[in-house]
Amino acid sequence: MKMHTSSKLRKEFIKKWVKGLQICCSSKKNMDILERKKKIKLCADIALASAKNETTLWSIALISEAKKDDENKILVDNLLGPESRFKPRMTNRQMIACHKRVRSKKILKKSRHVCQKMKKMGPPKSNLAAYIAKKLVKRRTQVLKRLVPGGESMDKFSLIKEALDYILSLRIQVDVMRTLVNANEVLNQSDSKIYN
Amino acid sequence: MNKGEELGMETFQFGEEIQSLMAVVQPPEAGNSFTALLELPANQAVKLLHSHEETAPNNLPSSVFPSAENSLETTTSSVVPNSSPNNVNLVKQEPIDSDSMHNSSPNPSDPVVSKSTKRKEREKNVKTSAKKIKSVANDDGEELPYVHVRARRGQATDSHSLAERARREKINARMKLLQELVPGCNKISGTAMVLDEIINHVQSLQRQVEFLSMRLAAVHPNIDINLDNIFSAESGSLMDYSFPGMVSPQPLSHQLWQPDGLIPQPLWGVEETNPNFITPENSFLSYDSSGNSVSLYTNQLKMEL
Repeated sequence: MKMHTSSKLRKEFIKKWVKGLQICCSSKKNMDILERKKKIKLCADIALASAKNETTLWSIALISEAKKDDENKILVDNLLGPESRFKPRMTNRQMIACHKRVRSKKILKKSRHVCQKMKKMGPPKSNLAAYIAKKLVKRRTQVLKRLVPGGESMDKFSLIKEALDYILSLRIQVDVMRTLVNANEVLNQSDSKIYN
Repeated sequence: MNKGEELGMETFQFGEEIQSLMAVVQPPEAGNSFTALLELPANQAVKLLHSHEETAPNNLPSSVFPSAENSLETTTSSVVPNSSPNNVNLVKQEPIDSDSMHNSSPNPSDPVVSKSTKRKEREKNVKTSAKKIKSVANDDGEELPYVHVRARRGQATDSHSLAERARREKINARMKLLQELVPGCNKISGTAMVLDEIINHVQSLQRQVEFLSMRLAAVHPNIDINLDNIFSAESGSLMDYSFPGMVSPQPLSHQLWQPDGLIPQPLWGVEETNPNFITPENSFLSYDSSGNSVSLYTNQLKMEL
């Protein structure tokens, strides 16, 4: 059953990716290599995220980030297509307000935490190792938040879950792309063999 | 399955108003729970996870990563095929649980969870308050709204610290899961190192995507990556189409019907002989043909165009 889920995701991803590439191709000809690469990657990312069908936070964040860019917006909308159930859940203003709320809560939490610590702190840094470890962990989680799309506004708990899911989906993406590259390579080789 | 249910319920709640819910529900009383992971003995979480592992049927095929030899970063991808079947099993349980949660009510008598004592202890550790996420989930679940939390020996019975402990345990369990997923993380102890590995893994995957898309861009001057070249390889006949020439969708539909009858045989035939170059395509197309036949898939593609 698990294989079924992942292979379903895979199929969805392939379908959407190919579709997106065709849309790209029809809209603009003669792109240079960097543009092509960007489009390919963009299509792959969006295909992956939309294959998730809004079940995960990172996919929603990924799509909304892609939509922010005007030139991508058209492509995204076309790709998500007439069946697009995805509407931006919040307007920009709401998102800014949301971020402000998140940030002010964080400040409050931090100040409260610091106060508590000051009260509790007997011998300062009696447990030096733990203190250092805490710092390390904190820094790592910050980095992870930056890596996972939409991670900034997740609390640690959902961050882990999202990271899990993100890793799995990335693997599928890498796998499919690599397969395609290999196929192309092999075909090129066999082609050249014929002509030699 | 308790963890799965919790996850399922949470995803369900979040599914509606994700951003706003997240901002509101920043648990205000919890401390820095990640950091407390180091002090917490991991026994309980590990036992839980092992119970998960044993009961999860191992039915993943080994071809999750079919082509290891051409990998760009051999360190990561070569290790993955060994560990991935188990781990993906473990992890995939959760999304599937969340999927099933959408449709049906949570099933408390899930036979998978045989360790009822552990489960009860987990349930009891769930402290409900108006602010916590779980209280919402508990109301429509099988768990009671008021849970008596049992304090462990030698630990504070303060309500705050109990809630914090519950949170720590949850996070710890998930960290274990992540640890199982990322290759090479099993032997590492300590949250910081595990996180480090995870970050490296995510970064390497993202870099691979970039690299692969660059390669694809180099091969296809016109970005129109047709899958018919793969089909033509399968049927064994080499057309005189060259990739750069395939711009219009017409040759696609034209070719799709050709290899139709030929595809099943090469697929099944070649699957035995492993080092054949067609293996990668077989595995990735045979996924599709496991349920439907490949011709159905190609029809699907065709109808979308």
